[in-house]
Amino acid sequence: MPNRSFALVLLIAACFATSDAGAQNTPHPSPVKSRASAIHPDLSGVWFIDEYHRTILPKEDPPFQPWAKELLAKRDYDNTHHDPDIAIDPTERCIPPGTPRIMFQPFPWEIVNSRDRILIIFEYQSLLRQIFIDGRKHPDDLEPTYMGHSIGKFEGDTLVVDTVGFNDKTWLDPMGLPHSDAMHLTERIRRVDHDTLVDEYTIDDPKAYTQPWKASRTFKLKSDWQIKEYVCTENNTVK
Amino acid sequence: MESPGMATRIRLAIGLLIAFGTLAAATSLSAHHSSAGYDMEHPLNLKGVVTNMEWGNPHVFIYMDIKDDSGNVEQWRVEGNSPNMLVRSGWKKEMIKTGDVLQINGAPAKNGSKVMRLLSVTLSNGQKYDGQGFK
Repeated sequence: MPNRSFALVLLIAACFATSDAGAQNTPHPSPVKSRASAIHPDLSGVWFIDEYHRTILPKEDPPFQPWAKELLAKRDYDNTHHDPDIAIDPTERCIPPGTPRIMFQPFPWEIVNSRDRILIIFEYQSLLRQIFIDGRKHPDDLEPTYMGHSIGKFEGDTLVVDTVGFNDKTWLDPMGLPHSDAMHLTERIRRVDHDTLVDEYTIDDPKAYTQPWKASRTFKLKSDWQIKEYVCTENNTVK
Repeated sequence: MESPGMATRIRLAIGLLIAFGTLAAATSLSAHHSSAGYDMEHPLNLKGVVTNMEWGNPHVFIYMDIKDDSGNVEQWRVEGNSPNMLVRSGWKKEMIKTGDVLQINGAPAKNGSKVMRLLSVTLSNGQKYDGQGFK
């Protein structure tokens, strides 16, 4: 339960943050104006992937390191010969999907402005991501985590998020795309119009790929949706 | 909307503590299913009778008796998306009950077992609902 305990601490902290957290209780007309959004572009709202794909790869495969290509092929074989009642993908065991995969799941998430952070509340597994926008750096002694450590800044209308400090326990997508603990994720998140958000992500992971590669996903605003409880462990039949 | 007052924030924090305490009590870590085990490219259309309906996370399960080509009754398990996503696509918790006759469009398990991932369901009144909650 360490991840849930951590999320609890963060959520309670968010209760007391200078934010528009109360707006989550009702479908809010977006964009919500808050003190935080008065000083940077407002990305707040409930967002949902526009077109869900099981892969997060760009059209052309990235330059895999040999081990990563072999591992992806093995996972692809396992997926193809998969007994639905036997878990292969770590998320089937309720392991967090990690960043960036959590962004691209077919479940909504909500961006909430706070004074020093942008919070993303994910419906999937009730996970939380925090992006520090107060100018701090990544700590030198990061403990590897599923979500990583994110710092962000606005460049014009674009939120540029830099995330490091990952463990290597997750797949980047349901196909089994590998990564290592050296992954460095950069995202450029921009509201291209009122109802559309784009996350252009660059994955720089020299242990798994010989060069950085990038792709993007688009999300649609769901003004009449609220983030609801999702429990991964309630109703399972897998042995 | 203005920021909530301190009393509201304290109530919210207490609510979170209770919610997480309940969650922590659920110790099972068994898996739920991805769609990897299902042949999404070759869906089947099957008609049958509901024997049980489990409305829960992470996925909804409909258990059905379905006759094969020889008239033998097979027991199938049909897996839909999470209750949250199904409600967002128009489902209601009580709309499928034991004894209902359903037309199912779903992706069968790749290993041949009698389980499938629900793509859409048509009720006996002709109403059709998406089984995944997203396109």
